[in-house]
Amino acid sequence: MPAFLELPRLAGSTPALALFVMVSVSPPVTVPAQEPEFYDRPYAENQWTYGRRMDESQLRYCVDRRDPDWEVASAIADAIALGLLLEPQRYVVESNIIFDDITKVYAVMLEHCDIHMGFKLIPQGYPDWITVTRPYYDAEYVFVAADLGIQALADLAPSRPIGATMGTSAHLRLVSYLSALPADDRWVTYPMGTSDLALQSLLEGKVDVALVWAPNFWIKQREDPVYDGLNVIDPAPLPPIVLGVGAILLSNETFLRAAIDEAIAALRADGTIADILDEYEFPARAAP
Amino acid sequence: MYKNLVRKSLFAATSVAAGLLATALVAQENPIDNISPVTDEMLLNPPDGDWLMWRRTYDGWGYSPLDQINKSNVGDLKLAWAWAMTPGRTQQTPLVHDGVMFVQNADHVIQALNAATGDLIWEYEYELPDGVRARGERNKAIYEDKLIVATRDAHLIAIDTKTGQLIWDKQVANHNFGYSFSAGPLVANGVVVQGMTGCGRGQPGGCFITGHDADTGAEIWRVNTIARGDSPEGNSWNGIPLESRHGASVWLAASYDPEQNLIFAGVGQPYPWISEMNGLLPVSADPNVTNDALYTNSTLAIDVTTGELKWYFQHLPSDSLDLDYAFERILIDLPVNGQERKTVVTAGKIGIIEAIDRVTGEWLWGVETVPQNVVLSIDPETGKKEINPEVIPRIGETTFNCPADPGGKSWQATAYSPRTGALYLPLVEFCSNTTPNPLDPGEVYTGGGRATFARVPVPDSDGNVGRVDAVKLSDQSTMWSYRQRPPVTSSTLPTAGGVVFVGSLDRKFLAFDDETGEILWSSGKLSNSLESFPVSYMVDGKQYVAITANFASGLGRLRQITPEVKLPANDPITVYVFALPD
Repeated sequence: MPAFLELPRLAGSTPALALFVMVSVSPPVTVPAQEPEFYDRPYAENQWTYGRRMDESQLRYCVDRRDPDWEVASAIADAIALGLLLEPQRYVVESNIIFDDITKVYAVMLEHCDIHMGFKLIPQGYPDWITVTRPYYDAEYVFVAADLGIQALADLAPSRPIGATMGTSAHLRLVSYLSALPADDRWVTYPMGTSDLALQSLLEGKVDVALVWAPNFWIKQREDPVYDGLNVIDPAPLPPIVLGVGAILLSNETFLRAAIDEAIAALRADGTIADILDEYEFPARAAP
Repeated sequence: MYKNLVRKSLFAATSVAAGLLATALVAQENPIDNISPVTDEMLLNPPDGDWLMWRRTYDGWGYSPLDQINKSNVGDLKLAWAWAMTPGRTQQTPLVHDGVMFVQNADHVIQALNAATGDLIWEYEYELPDGVRARGERNKAIYEDKLIVATRDAHLIAIDTKTGQLIWDKQVANHNFGYSFSAGPLVANGVVVQGMTGCGRGQPGGCFITGHDADTGAEIWRVNTIARGDSPEGNSWNGIPLESRHGASVWLAASYDPEQNLIFAGVGQPYPWISEMNGLLPVSADPNVTNDALYTNSTLAIDVTTGELKWYFQHLPSDSLDLDYAFERILIDLPVNGQERKTVVTAGKIGIIEAIDRVTGEWLWGVETVPQNVVLSIDPETGKKEINPEVIPRIGETTFNCPADPGGKSWQATAYSPRTGALYLPLVEFCSNTTPNPLDPGEVYTGGGRATFARVPVPDSDGNVGRVDAVKLSDQSTMWSYRQRPPVTSSTLPTAGGVVFVGSLDRKFLAFDDETGEILWSSGKLSNSLESFPVSYMVDGKQYVAITANFASGLGRLRQITPEVKLPANDPITVYVFALPD
């Protein structure tokens, strides 16, 4: 037995830890808001120069060319604007940066748009300066394989690697499932920075299955025939991993948000959004 | 396009208008006319009145040998001058040489100021590409006639210290993949050493430290901070391939031991922080791999000429709480068990001070400071830590850890005074209820926080969050511990005058008695939180103390648990310089 230095202050005894847990579950009275790091106070250059907008006959929306669905989202935003009897005004965010912190969208919205399309509805996933509309479509994370012998995730042998788009809701659900299995029954999960990198690893044979956002796989297959040989497989034994996608607004835009929610509900109900998805053969659903 | 937009010599411009007599008169007052090249010898033994590198000396002490401002007169300190910087967060360390102060604004306007008067001498604007957030860098370097600056788009640039003109510009990595610099370089033995940050999901493989030719910026060597290959180190990533390894940022500049020609640098944690996300959990069934994730949370000793990694020591394997050991390394010769040892001392975010033999990499001792529940025990022979399994975040669960992710001790540097033999630590006491969160609210706009860190006071806290400790390193005893309600937010600055300066979230700059912890002086309320690195320098026989006021996030996030501390909404950034009255 090594003679360990005992660190006495908080760590040592089980009773002390139990006390910690007991105390921690009570909301601290002095804390008005519990904010993760990405709830960081947003900042935009010259932010104090942006006042109330005068032209209220337009719906200014942003789409980001880095999003696989940006053209589909544009069509949906146009339909939302028309539904509200507003003139749609599109701003396309152009950037080559792979990832941006969500706080950067603050400056984009201050300058260019009332709503920004393309955000997943994730519980507790947003800072309090953002509000999210109801979803205009629902899409899945999908498991993709190159080997035609793998028709379902259940066909994959234990210890074989899955390249999962790292930190996504789907990745978390996969890891939770695997953690509940005996070690010998698990697949190995390789976190991949992006859906593109996960699909690239699949093409290169470094993983047997890739877990990616279906719209990302859709755009890759539209743009490059090298992806034609890849197939979406049945997620069983996992259930389908579906997320709604909506638009974000600055949280003080409560009236506009209510109006957009009503418009989205109407456009889903009358089949307008479903028709747009069909037109693009986009892998999502917009049932009423 | 990088351009020198406004390169001014205000005095010279005045003199042209006023005639030759005025030229001669004013030119004498402009320190830029007499600024000298910074030699290797000067970096080894900086003039007392200069502040030539991040922590003033290669050993990282952050100590000023000036004693004009001392215990008996520090109470008379008055504002000498102030300089408003451009908006945007910065945590900068001003550099001072031959009476010229160099500052870097968040928007990458770099300025030379008269350090005695605060007058602008020249300024150079480095134009950041669209989409790169304008933020400052924690430090710069001076070497020969060059001010060497790191940028947020992962370039190193050298600017002529006399004219403000660009000498060279070297792209170190592609910022589109997330690479960025948050701190600047150290120049040692003629090599510019720079650590990379932002090595996340855009590009796998992790970060690196690079050595560059000081004359051209050309890269000489590169040390990857994520271990690779079929070796015990390379096999410490739970069996995941290099394509799945992320993180290991190098957040701050290194220290340098000229005797060994070694630099000592700290490395941050794996990305994303949650082990179940980054692939380090669940533990692999392969007996030939570990999930230590080398060289994250390690001290690296690197030959500055060749880039050879001589040794490493990992302080915290498989960190899942953002409690990294990425900060300053202080080189001190200390008695250990009756024997004089050449040590490198550092404190990670958990607030445990640790000493390593800087020749062998052997762990020597560790001592706690702030309340923590992460480390249960430390092996006194090896330094290996027993981690409390209850604090490791799990998907779908909320766990409780102290300190919270910004750290009981963070990037705000500790400092060592040879006067007292004490290490002065800026500390905070707080905890976190931690819940893993998915990263994917948008396809490109990510949550980035990896978890909800609901920061809360320490259980049974008396309400004090901020703290400064003085720990005598010869026996690791606490000389004094000062505690206050507002978080302490700046690095410490001990001086030969027997005072220790430190800044606070509530906009105050404080001076302590270095032996007792008694507050000897407090500034009035300044324009903003003081989240930066204070320095002291001398011009024309007069000592100054400077600090940058800004709310730069970081420990400023502790506003959540001290909501009564109100800061201005537009985040003003100001350099304040104090001195004794004439």
